[in-house]
Amino acid sequence: MSELLAKVAEILGAPETLVQRSAEARAEASGNTVEEVLQSWAGGEAIAASAPAAEEAPVEEVKEEVVVEEAPVEEVKEEVVVEEAPLEAMEKVIEEESVELKKESSLIFIAGVLGVAMFTYFFAFAIPKNQSADLVAESLNNEVVVSQEVLKGAQVYNDLNCQSCHTQNVRLLIPDSQNGKILKNKFANEIIIKNTGLLRLGPDLSTSATREPTNNEKWLTRYLTDSASVRDTIPHPNYDFLSTSDLDYLLTYLLSLGEVNE
Amino acid sequence: MKIKLIPNNEQDLSKVFIFLLPLVVLLSASINFLKDAFRSFSNVLPGNQVLNYGFLDKLSNQISFNFLFSFILVVTVVYLLSKSLGRSIIIFPLFFLTGLGLIGIEFIDVVLAFISPEQLLDLGNTSVLLLIKILLVGAFLGLILLNFLAKKEPSIFLSSQFLLGAVVFYLISLLIYRSEYTVMSDNFFINSMYMSTHIYVGCSFVFLSIFYFLITKGMQATLFSKTLGTISFWGYLFLLPWTGFKYFYGTTLPDWIENVSIYLSLSLIIPLLALIVNYSKTIATKENKEPVFSVLISFAFVVFGLTNVLQIISSISNVTPIVSLTNFEYSVRYGYMYSLILILIPFVYHLVPKIYGREFIYGRLETLNAYLLGTSVIATLSLNTLIGINSGFSWNAGANAGNPTIYGEGFLITWSLISTPYTFILFLSLLFLLSTFLFTLSTLKAIIGGSVTESETVSEISGDNDE
Repeated sequence: MSELLAKVAEILGAPETLVQRSAEARAEASGNTVEEVLQSWAGGEAIAASAPAAEEAPVEEVKEEVVVEEAPVEEVKEEVVVEEAPLEAMEKVIEEESVELKKESSLIFIAGVLGVAMFTYFFAFAIPKNQSADLVAESLNNEVVVSQEVLKGAQVYNDLNCQSCHTQNVRLLIPDSQNGKILKNKFANEIIIKNTGLLRLGPDLSTSATREPTNNEKWLTRYLTDSASVRDTIPHPNYDFLSTSDLDYLLTYLLSLGEVNE
Repeated sequence: MKIKLIPNNEQDLSKVFIFLLPLVVLLSASINFLKDAFRSFSNVLPGNQVLNYGFLDKLSNQISFNFLFSFILVVTVVYLLSKSLGRSIIIFPLFFLTGLGLIGIEFIDVVLAFISPEQLLDLGNTSVLLLIKILLVGAFLGLILLNFLAKKEPSIFLSSQFLLGAVVFYLISLLIYRSEYTVMSDNFFINSMYMSTHIYVGCSFVFLSIFYFLITKGMQATLFSKTLGTISFWGYLFLLPWTGFKYFYGTTLPDWIENVSIYLSLSLIIPLLALIVNYSKTIATKENKEPVFSVLISFAFVVFGLTNVLQIISSISNVTPIVSLTNFEYSVRYGYMYSLILILIPFVYHLVPKIYGREFIYGRLETLNAYLLGTSVIATLSLNTLIGINSGFSWNAGANAGNPTIYGEGFLITWSLISTPYTFILFLSLLFLLSTFLFTLSTLKAIIGGSVTESETVSEISGDNDE
């Protein structure tokens, strides 16, 4: 049987599995054995087609297999045309398969994809984002006010991308100081908002100005310009390339943390 | 070997892209390695405006998730779209210009980052070019839609379905990234949605597009079930954009959206199972017995599956608070990107004979490289996961004990748990860089010096031969 299958597959130039399934479908439809079908495809007599009603079944079965990505079926199709007469039965099955390729409307598909995209945009983003802003607008004391120097320092902090390692999420006002929900939902400058960070690799800085030694300007200056001289166990970038004014602004900003955004 | 600078058709364009693609992958791996080096040894390495972890992190995001991503997207669309729609691309000159413009603008963003570092945003993109990028992606999407409407195949192949999904969400992600920051929670809304639409959906959909092409056409196998493929498509399309919020659990994001994110992330099991069944059953009928080719596809699939499993694990209620705001999200983000790079390699190997008419021989170098790539990627993801869980656990345990390890001296405890994995990641990053170099070498060697074989004609690429 397997030899016969291999022989037919070779003649047809199609994968054995496909030939096997096609033969099974044909056998079921024609009331013959799989071996007889294969024999006929290998050069023997063609199997007589059975009644139209019986033809329905194999088509259903084959349909799933036929909706393939690209070539395998197409290859078979080409081979069958070339091989001509002895493969009459196989040709017929393949034709049925081709006819049964499910037609899919591009328009419906595109509408579906765009529909999901719009739904996601509005319900996962635009609406909840606006709701958050509305909630803040309705609350009292809803703005973060900072000085121009602090704002310039926040910009330096943002340009250096300090927020790629440090978050500013944990607040002392709430006893639970875990990963923390904590930042009040206030209107603030874009840079202040962005500096809250997304991922924490280094320490959280939301209250750094209230703790030793990060509340000490001299220590902070030395740490930012030559971190290894202060603490060599934790790698921290040296910002000795910053201009004096930028470093001053950055220090002002860092020393303000713990007073703003509460 | 002839490469036309102004291509006339899909084949010419694919030639240019396939030649440049390994070089872009190499660039991305180099910057990633440099970034990792500056993370682990920032206090001893010389620093300046460019050579510091903060800038390299942004640059790495721009190169990997924008420049490389757009490059792969355009290559895949150029080659696979016409093939799966059964016709040549309509309005090809415009299509060519838009694709080139898209890659070009992402490249200009990379250059701008050096000229004006402060313009570069955290997750890539410069604010000045964002609007032009939106217009270009919109035009690219419009051209793809026109091609869809003019398709000649009766059904819509899975590869093209995923490509359309990727481009639609690419556009959505750029629109999101342009939003205004007005209240504190906007930081989490904008960035988590950008990550999930641009990286989770974008990278995984381009991955799945190439994956379905390779496991059928590349492996010469018959797709087991289109229905399962469709379940994967719609499942991922609906679920993935929502999965980013859970990594900001406990922040100012509304509770309901965090909970929805958790439940929808758990539901990722459905499209994942459909994908696994479809893959294993399809691969059983493969005729292509080249082992290295299969290994590369399997590694890519394992990395993609692993990333999905991490998404599901991180939605378990006991785990979510531990992994929020940690490197755990890095594993997921890079998992999708790495799976795309891993599937790209067999894709390029498969295309070299088709496009250039040069035989690609899988020798010892390619075998060694396949295992090197797969193991370095899986180990990197595992270590990032470990760092995420260690950090989160340490923070939570410290907080419960009244000795916060989130900041101050207490942070030293956390650092002692995560510093060694970081050093290993640096080493793995070097291995990954080495393997991308070997990949570039193999590809260029085959293109330039491979023995001549029969290439695909233009009509074969576009599928016109079926008519």
